[in-house]
Amino acid sequence: MQILTEISENLQKGKAKIVTQLVEQALAEGVPADDILQVGMMPGMDIIATKFKNNEVFVPEVLIAARAMNQGTALLKPHLDSASSVIGKCVLGTVKGDLHDIGKNLVRMMLEGKGIEVIDLGVDVPAEKFVAAIAEHQPDCVALSALLTTTMGEITATIAAIEVAGLRDSVSILVGGAPVTESFCQEIGADIYQPDAASAAEAAKAAILAKKAA
Amino acid sequence: MTERQRFLNTLRRKPVPGRVPTFELEFYLTMEALGRVHPSHRRFGQWNQMSETERHLHLLDQAETFIAFARKYHHSAIHVNAQPWSNDNLITVLQHCRDLAGDEFALLVYCDPTFVIPNGNDMEAFSARLYEDEAGLKAEAQARMEYDIFRMEQIAAQHNLLDGVVMCSDYCFNTNPFFSRDMFAEYIAPYLKQTVDACHAMGLATIKHTDGNIMPIIDMLVQCAPDALHSLDPQGGVDLAQVSRDWGDQIALCGNVNCALLQTGTQAECEADIRRALRQGMARGAGFVFCTSNCAYTGLPLARYELLHDIWWEEGVYPCTSA
Repeated sequence: MQILTEISENLQKGKAKIVTQLVEQALAEGVPADDILQVGMMPGMDIIATKFKNNEVFVPEVLIAARAMNQGTALLKPHLDSASSVIGKCVLGTVKGDLHDIGKNLVRMMLEGKGIEVIDLGVDVPAEKFVAAIAEHQPDCVALSALLTTTMGEITATIAAIEVAGLRDSVSILVGGAPVTESFCQEIGADIYQPDAASAAEAAKAAILAKKAA
Repeated sequence: MTERQRFLNTLRRKPVPGRVPTFELEFYLTMEALGRVHPSHRRFGQWNQMSETERHLHLLDQAETFIAFARKYHHSAIHVNAQPWSNDNLITVLQHCRDLAGDEFALLVYCDPTFVIPNGNDMEAFSARLYEDEAGLKAEAQARMEYDIFRMEQIAAQHNLLDGVVMCSDYCFNTNPFFSRDMFAEYIAPYLKQTVDACHAMGLATIKHTDGNIMPIIDMLVQCAPDALHSLDPQGGVDLAQVSRDWGDQIALCGNVNCALLQTGTQAECEADIRRALRQGMARGAGFVFCTSNCAYTGLPLARYELLHDIWWEEGVYPCTSA
């Protein structure tokens, strides 16, 4: 459908005003909200995420595309069946002692672009807060971020706290941040490490879908 | 030859005899190393209530701290700042440093008006401005640059005080730069170049620092003509040997011992990385300042910094002997 292609193309260019106009037009023409989201907007965001991974676009392009996506999604929300538009849930935060939020926010946007509901706990989040959020929201995955080498240990402590609370088997744990590596991920018993936000969101989506299929 | 001369000659890519110069962009471990609070860790809530004498003593104490760690670890240069921050306090601390140590060290201050990667809350609004507020953003970049150049002119007007500036706006993540090349050319490079040129006109050396993977924009950084690039971040995949080979004839290099490894690696891994950085950096025989790939940051085990220092002391002598 031409209008869905236009939505996708304008979303990729970050043209939020045009995207919202087109979404309103599509709704008025009777296009199902779910199609607008699944066929128009999310594929557009997927293309941006792939280009970002391939270094063809940079963070500002991703951010303005995400802004267009968010504004379009806000218009769609009243018309969407929430069960079909959300594939899963993720609790996200930067661990205790670390106030950095750039990477965390990028991951949040990418996760949302994949149709994953995000419970963002913010920065400087103690382990017990992650545990409480898992118990309350029952997410499919937990994403732990640290920028500082000195706070990497808090990722380990948070995973241990999740384990002690008996919640470890209920979630996939993603770890990321500048000093985090695949070997660190394996060493501390996390499930997923990816070097960039787009790959992290893709891996989270795959883990959620695998869990649902099991 | 003083450490100051050795450092400045190295930034000009001239060979220096003896040890390859070393310094740190910041050395926060002063309490453990010296029993002194680092100036950046000090807060002066009652500054305006203090007598002139007390304020003077506080600024002198900050200068003494800078000199003390530079002497203890044989640094050739000091990045000086002052708390509470003001250009006047900065000038006073610089003057104290010169009074205490004469021409022993090159003295550097922070000066980078260019846009940095915005924080998580401001990222989206800033990104939107890149597309929707070109004129406003450029006006802001121009104003920031003019203010910083004015600040440097005030300091440079003091005879024999300041040797150079460190330009610390971060542009890059581990994976790639925040700005695309087009954006960098539009919003960063012109202001970086003009600031570098203005500093050079004042006789000041310029060291451009950024974390992360600089490789997609390294040619543009070099074209802005700072004297040196810092920190050649191995976490961002920057290969010192490659950068030295490709760009070392045009720009001096500072770095690139892996900071994360110093924190988390084994003793053997750290020793190997320190030796690698020495070997690769010193291969050209000039134009290399040995240091960490960021700074001696709060929380870094002092023993690991001292390991770096001890290996440098033993092996960081031209011609390089590190295996």
